[in-house]
Amino acid sequence: MLVDLAKHQDKLLFMQLYDYFSPRIKSFLVKKGASAELAEELVQETMLTVWKKAASYDPEKATASTWLFRIARNLWIDRLRKEKPDLLSPLSVYPETGYTPNMDVCDSGKIKSALDSLPLQQAQLVYKVYYEGKTHREIADDMGMPIGSVKSGLRLAFDKLRFRMGGES
Amino acid sequence: MSCNHHPDLSTLLNYGAGSLSDALAMVVACHLESCEHCRHTVTEAENIGMALLKEVSADDMSRNARDNMLAMLDDHAIEPPQVVIETPQKEGDIPTQLRPLIGQWFADLKWSRVAPGLKQFILPASDGKLRLLNIAPGTFMPAHGHSGSELTLVLKGSYSDELGRFRAGDVADVDPDVTHQPVADTHEGCICLIATDAPLRFKGLVPRLLQPFFQL
Ligand SMILES: [Zn+2]
Repeated sequence: MLVDLAKHQDKLLFMQLYDYFSPRIKSFLVKKGASAELAEELVQETMLTVWKKAASYDPEKATASTWLFRIARNLWIDRLRKEKPDLLSPLSVYPETGYTPNMDVCDSGKIKSALDSLPLQQAQLVYKVYYEGKTHREIADDMGMPIGSVKSGLRLAFDKLRFRMGGES
Repeated sequence: MSCNHHPDLSTLLNYGAGSLSDALAMVVACHLESCEHCRHTVTEAENIGMALLKEVSADDMSRNARDNMLAMLDDHAIEPPQVVIETPQKEGDIPTQLRPLIGQWFADLKWSRVAPGLKQFILPASDGKLRLLNIAPGTFMPAHGHSGSELTLVLKGSYSDELGRFRAGDVADVDPDVTHQPVADTHEGCICLIATDAPLRFKGLVPRLLQPFFQL
């Protein structure tokens, strides 16, 4: 879809992506702690980046939606960094280069059912990492667990999820 | 470069999700440059992120957002594809991600002496959480444990400790309950990039007295 979009500069095609993803990215960022205004600003920035960079998107390297996830994640992290002067600003810890693996298109329904099959505590850990943006240490504090247990729980969960996704186990 | 020691799966998961502290994320980014295996794992973590993003209940955008977007499309053309030139990493090279911070050569760095055989360089703007350590051949680091996460990437030379031998490109992802005592084990010594997100815990009085010099 992105490949066609780039070829024809097709705004209608792009707006289909926009209508599907923008309310979801907004909601995702609000969960992570962004205000509604900030979330919308970042959604617009994400989608505009998708548009501008559509020609650089390489379907061999990532699915279109994973590419979009990366853009939203990186913009969010850049924004967080601007508010914390002690961090490695303005350096990027997410290079655009180097992501070469060729992956099968993964079906998010599969991941959803895999998530539902996780033991409660492991699912909780995964949600805290992705939705709340918490580090291992923060999760350990939140849940009153040693960091080692947080890491081993996440390891087990990750292994099960990617096994279900058809990746290596 | 092929690597034998990789960041923990849980560390790569957090990196893909965007939930790793900056210092730790920088070490992972530098390792990914030379490790295809972990790049693949990170992509898997990103796929999980995408699936979770699709799962959230949609949160309506404000009324003008869509029209504003359309207007922006008129102002911005799709850019010509970017060609990414990948320069292969050789052992002893400073990783690309670090170069904006410290330049291209280890020899140009202003190292500060911490103890005999041990020099460090604190990366600017990292609040002491990201440092390079330069360990002279045969030098033992003080034994220490951690109260948080520690990630070490070997950039040059190698070291050994209770967990094994670590060569250039290898990452040690040390759990807090592990106490270890690395020793540089080649004639050229060892340069490592180390990220921590909590103070190290040194064992013994002398190492504890050294702690202020580590700025931890
Ligand atoms: Zn690796």
